[in-house]
Amino acid sequence: MDPLAGMDDSSTDDETASQTTEDDPQIPEQPPVSAPVPIPAPPPLPAAVAASAPPREKPHYSLQHTLRGHTQSISAVKFSPDGRLLASCGAEKVVKIWSPETGEFLRNLTGHTQGLSDVAWSSDSMYLASASDDTTIRIWDIETGMTQKVLKGHTKWVFCLNYNTASNLLVSGGCDGDVRIWNTARGKCMKTLHAHLDYVTAVHFNRDASLIVSCALDGLIRIWNTSDGQCLKTLAEGHDAICQHVQFSPNSKYILSTAHDSAIRLWDYQTNRCLKTYTGHINSKYCISACFSVTGGKWIVAGSEDHKTYIWDLQTREIVQVLEGHTDIVVAVATHPTQNMIATGSIDSDLAIRIWVDPGPRPGG
Amino acid sequence: MNESLINPFTLSHPTAVQTSLFAGAIFSRFDPTGRFIAAARLDGSAQIWDLETRGTIRTLDGHVKALTSIDWSHHSRYLLTSSKDWNILIWDLASPTNPPLRYNTLRFDAPVHSACFHPKNSQIVLALLSTGELYLCDTRKSHRTRAEILESILEDGEEEDENSGQGRARSPMTAARFDPSGKNIFVGNAAGYVLVFNTRTRIMVGRHKIIGAGSIKSMDFAKSGRRLVTNSSDRTLRQFSLSTYPTPLNETDAVSILETEWDAALKFSDPINRSAWHAMCYSPDGEWLAGGAADPAAHKIHVWDLANGGRLASALDGGREPLIHLHWHPLKSSMASTTNHGNILIWHCPSPERWGAFAGGFEEVDENVEYEEREDEFDIEDEAVISERKRKAEEEEVDIDTLLTGEQISAFDKRRGTQTPGHTGVSTPIGQPSHGDTALGGIDGGMLDLDAAWAEAEPDGDGPGAWKMKIIMDDSQD
Repeated sequence: MDPLAGMDDSSTDDETASQTTEDDPQIPEQPPVSAPVPIPAPPPLPAAVAASAPPREKPHYSLQHTLRGHTQSISAVKFSPDGRLLASCGAEKVVKIWSPETGEFLRNLTGHTQGLSDVAWSSDSMYLASASDDTTIRIWDIETGMTQKVLKGHTKWVFCLNYNTASNLLVSGGCDGDVRIWNTARGKCMKTLHAHLDYVTAVHFNRDASLIVSCALDGLIRIWNTSDGQCLKTLAEGHDAICQHVQFSPNSKYILSTAHDSAIRLWDYQTNRCLKTYTGHINSKYCISACFSVTGGKWIVAGSEDHKTYIWDLQTREIVQVLEGHTDIVVAVATHPTQNMIATGSIDSDLAIRIWVDPGPRPGG
Repeated sequence: MNESLINPFTLSHPTAVQTSLFAGAIFSRFDPTGRFIAAARLDGSAQIWDLETRGTIRTLDGHVKALTSIDWSHHSRYLLTSSKDWNILIWDLASPTNPPLRYNTLRFDAPVHSACFHPKNSQIVLALLSTGELYLCDTRKSHRTRAEILESILEDGEEEDENSGQGRARSPMTAARFDPSGKNIFVGNAAGYVLVFNTRTRIMVGRHKIIGAGSIKSMDFAKSGRRLVTNSSDRTLRQFSLSTYPTPLNETDAVSILETEWDAALKFSDPINRSAWHAMCYSPDGEWLAGGAADPAAHKIHVWDLANGGRLASALDGGREPLIHLHWHPLKSSMASTTNHGNILIWHCPSPERWGAFAGGFEEVDENVEYEEREDEFDIEDEAVISERKRKAEEEEVDIDTLLTGEQISAFDKRRGTQTPGHTGVSTPIGQPSHGDTALGGIDGGMLDLDAAWAEAEPDGDGPGAWKMKIIMDDSQD
């Protein structure tokens, strides 16, 4: 129960409950980029060939902005799918909207009566959903800042949530071990999956929303059929590897998981094989998320309990850059959908969001 | 791509009703992505249902009389509704409003019996009027035409068949469809003929008498475009394998009309009740044919296994509300059948719950299996060797963001049945004689270009991923 130590402490409950599934922003970005390309592309072109020509050797991220305003631990940061806004939430009941370009604070979204664990953007960047310890999910209209829907149904704190690509569905996971699927237009719960026996710490749809992946502090990663709610598969690593965050890769072929044995794993869920393991950071206590970066080189980005943010090369699994600046544990991380930009958020003694930018290939090469 | 995970067994036909939508529908059609279903209603409106949320998301209210047909454009952006009020409306679902904007209105001088989009360009519409006249409406700026499609009648009486007694009068047309490539228009008429016209030039290129069929009520194509099933007034469904038709160069080009009598390769009928068929539909892979029986007291769907010589695979019973329409899902083993009470039944192929899925690393077996120990199963290996091997295995390149693999591209093509020359082999359905396929494909590949280029001029803005159905918040309190 050591991994839960941070969770059981009432004061830090939601700050450790960070769920940053950054790929929500990436999904909408995908169609314009790749959809027109693959059709003329000859089918035999192996995916590996395209990926094996890395445009650059190493990322060169540097600190661009430090956003201050949160008064309690930050739990999630997310870029909007159009890349124009950044949403962050923490233990202090409000969602904050920032401009990632200028670092400017734009607005608070207020209404929840308890702290927040996660936020998710709809793919048109019009709506934001937030998961709160007051057992509700709120859907906000970003233009007006008003609550559009209050989704009631969870019996305990809502821990994580995500939209599907079409944004007609929302999936959420709660501390009661349930995963719920919601109709976003009506704000009604469509289905409840009694998915896990412990806190559900991450839920994510695949691209066509046919599958949901969930993970919980019971150490299991489960894959569900969205349409009938059946469990299709369970992945489990060693007993010390309590998984706290999962998501599908942008093309939904793999899933990326972070675990309390300080390792991030990339799984082929069709064959149950762990394809890659990324190590070097420290993660044994907090819910730390990882995410894919596909705008420049192909990287994996994750926070760490040594106050740093690590960037790994997707293929070689080497650490290619370490971002230093936060003065406390980095639990939240997100990558910009189109630019080489990373947002990181830190907990209690730091309370800052930092935006890191890679200016791109230098003229020399 | 997740089919293997979701359904480990071979794709089968639907067998059970999954859900019922209380839609007040007279017929319903899936969109080409299979995410939505459009339900036509007697009052002239149509509703679009989101099958993921099982809720209505749009109401298209524009006609004043009952709808007669609905068609979706190839990537679902446009929806066509035809009505007995003499109009065809085309709706643009990319507009962020409910009801969506009307993109176009086509008016005629008679009730519209049916209408459909060209498979490659939704600005070309085929409209069949209840008077038996057929019009091809091209609303593209450079082609703007509305031309009647007429059967060519031979001047000299060289044609001697049982219908020549009716004089040279053209029989009224009763069914009209584009083939899946859009190259040809297939028309059924009241005299039991299937006429084939080149879409671009509107020249008749084929005429086939179906022996004993009577009036043709409807037609459906397998997605490959190589097979056609007809429903006719003799209560029999007939499947034909299609040949290749000549491609006229221009409107005045004289081509020889392929004039043959068709004898059905396979015939399907209900030998017990002798019921007629309200609708029939191929499965997406072309292996099954479903027919909705016009039984006044029951909801019966017959499914035939085309791979096994057209054997009746099952007769599905959907309850007491009689069936009036049937449509197969464009990608999955699923069907939508509409009852005369207005309910849409969604059929699926239920998969048994696999409890083994809840435990990682376990596999369920259907019967007892003698366990065979691998040679090295209990060998003790050096940990360094193991970690070295694991490290080696992790060197393998992964691809996290390429969207379509070859398999997915073919699935994507199958989605609309567009027959690009390179993919003829991929989508060739089982049960189709494989000989001659390549030869036909070759000819088609060369000839299709002219017609495809014509159809694809002035694209309609309905590409893959070119638009999104906006989520409109439903503020009605319930």
